Amino acid sequence: MTAAAAPFTAFSRGLVGDRRATLGFVLVLIAVVAAVAAQLIAPFDPDAPDFAAVLAPPSLAHLLGTDELGRDVFSRIIFGARVSLFVGFFSVAGALVLGTGLGLVAGYFGGLLGTLIMRVMDVVFAFPSILLALAIAAVLGPSLVNAVLAIAIVNLPVFARIARAQTLVVSQLDFVEAKRALGFGSTNILVRTVMPNMLAPIIVQGSLLFAAAIITESYLSFLGLGAQPPTPTWGNMLRNAIGFLDLAPWLAWFPGAAIFLTVLGFNLLGDALRDIFDPRNG
Amino acid sequence: MGGFLLSRVMSLVPILLGTSLVAFFLVRLIPGDPAIALLGLEADPRSIAALRTQLALDQPLVFQYLTWLGRILTGDFGRSIQGGREVFPLLLSALGPTALLSLASILISLAIAVPAGIVAATRRNTMADYGASFAALCGLSMPSFWLGVLLILTFSIYIPILPASGYVSPLLDPLGFLRFLVLPALTLGAALAAATMRMTRATMLEVLRADYVRTARAKGVPARVVVWRHAFRNAQIPIVTLLGIQMGQLLGGVVITETVFSWPGIGKLTVDAIFARDYPVVQGAVLLTATLFVLINLITDVIYTIIDPRVRLA
Repeated sequence: MTAAAAPFTAFSRGLVGDRRATLGFVLVLIAVVAAVAAQLIAPFDPDAPDFAAVLAPPSLAHLLGTDELGRDVFSRIIFGARVSLFVGFFSVAGALVLGTGLGLVAGYFGGLLGTLIMRVMDVVFAFPSILLALAIAAVLGPSLVNAVLAIAIVNLPVFARIARAQTLVVSQLDFVEAKRALGFGSTNILVRTVMPNMLAPIIVQGSLLFAAAIITESYLSFLGLGAQPPTPTWGNMLRNAIGFLDLAPWLAWFPGAAIFLTVLGFNLLGDALRDIFDPRNG
Repeated sequence: MGGFLLSRVMSLVPILLGTSLVAFFLVRLIPGDPAIALLGLEADPRSIAALRTQLALDQPLVFQYLTWLGRILTGDFGRSIQGGREVFPLLLSALGPTALLSLASILISLAIAVPAGIVAATRRNTMADYGASFAALCGLSMPSFWLGVLLILTFSIYIPILPASGYVSPLLDPLGFLRFLVLPALTLGAALAAATMRMTRATMLEVLRADYVRTARAKGVPARVVVWRHAFRNAQIPIVTLLGIQMGQLLGGVVITETVFSWPGIGKLTVDAIFARDYPVVQGAVLLTATLFVLINLITDVIYTIIDPRVRLA
C-alpha cells in the first residue's frame, strides 16, 4: 500500500506550491462550477430567443452579447460547459477503465491474447485521432453519446500501451514475484499489486487526455457531429459564429475563449502532475 | 540497411490490413443495406442489385472483405454518390493542396519552435524560458478552428489584407496561392509549433547536461558552437520522431483547418463527404489518410537511422 500512497503525498504537497497547478486548478474549477450550477448562475434561459435584442454586442444586460436569435451568449457558454465536461469525463473515464484493463491483461498474460490486443490497439493508433473520431461519429450518427463513444475509442490505445508497459515492469519486481510464490491468484496480484503501482502515469495521461477530449468534442460539434442544436456546445456556437464574423465577432470570441481556458486549465494541471511524478522533466 | 528496411516494411503489413478492416467495417456499421449506403437513397434498384453482386453481399463476410480489398489494391475505390466520379482520382486531386498546406505549416512550426525551444533550454528558468514555455502551453490548448477564426477576424475583417478563405493553384497564380496559404498555414503551424517547442526544450536540456557538452565547453569551444553543433545535432532525433508522430495531428488538423478556410484538400473532402453521406469517398479518404500516416512514420524511422546510425543497431 505504501507504494501506492507515496505518490499521492508527493502529489498533494507538490500541487499546493506550484503556481501553474494553482492556475490550472482555478480554471478547471470555474468550468466545473459552471457546469454543475448552470441553472443557478446563468442569467437567462440559454435557449430563449429575444427578438428585441438580436446580435446585441456585449453590454450590462447581456455580458457577452446575444446571437442571431437574441439568445444570451453568456448563459449559453455556461450551459455549454456541461457538454464539454460530460464528454471529456465519460470519454476519458471509459477509455481509462477499458484501456487499462486491456493493457493489464496484455502485459500480465502476454501470449497470443496479449499480441492480439496490442495489434488491435496499434490499428486504432494508426488513424489520426480526429479523423477516426469523425468517421465513428459520422457512421453512428451525430449525438452527444456517440461523441463520447468516438473519443473513448480513439483514446483506448493510449491507456492500453501505458498499462501494458507498466505491467511488464511491475510484474518483474520482487514483491510481485513474492506474492506469486505465496500462491496469490492472478486477479489478486493484478488488482491489489500491479494496478496501484501504475496509477501515476495513468492519471497524468488522463488529465492531459481530458484536455484533448474537450478539444476533440469541440471539433466534432464545430463540424456538426456532436450534441445537436438547440443544446448549446462551445463548438456549435463557434460553428454558428462563422456566418456572422463581420456583424457580430463576439459570437466567435467567447466560446473559443471558453474552450481555450478550460483546456489550458487541464493542461496546466496535467503538466504539474507529470512534474511531480517525474521530476526529471521540469 | 536493406534488412532493417525490409523488416520495418513487413511490420506494416498487419497494421495496414487492420486499417483496411476498419475502413471496410465503417460502411458495414451504417444501419441498413451497404449497397444503398454506398449508392445513396435515390439510386435505382437495378444499380443497387448490380452493386450487391459486385460487393458480394450474398457471400460470407470474409469473402466480401477479400473482394473489396482486391478492388482497393487495384485502385478501384468505387464511385462518389455525388456526380458519380471515381473516388480514387478525387482523392488524388485533393492530396496536392493538403501536401502543400502541410509542408508550409511544418516549416512555420519549425521556424518558430526550434529557436524558441533552444532559447528556453539555454536560458532555463529565466523570463524567456517561462514566456516561451507558457506560450507553448497556450498553443497546445488552443482549438485550431478558434485560432483560424481569430486570424480571419484580424487579417481579413479588421485589417483586410488577406483573403478569409479559398484556394488557387500555385501553377496558375503563385502569388495568389501564397496569399490564400498564409492564414491556414499559420493556424496549423502554431498548433504543431507548441509541441515541437516543448520537445526541443526538453531534449536540449537533457543533451546540455551530457559529458561531451561539458568537455566541449571545458576545452573552450564558443557557446554558440556548443549549442548548435554539439547539443542541437544530438537533440534532433527526438524532434524528428515527434515530427513523425505529429503527422497524425497534422492529418487530423487539416480536417478542421481546411474546413474553416475552404481549402480543397483531403480534410475538406472528408468532411464534405460525411455530410453528403458519400460513404465511398469517406471510406477511401479514411483508408488513404491512415495509410499515409503509417507510411510517413516508416519514413521517419528511416530518416533517423540516417541521422543516427546507432538506432539501426538497437
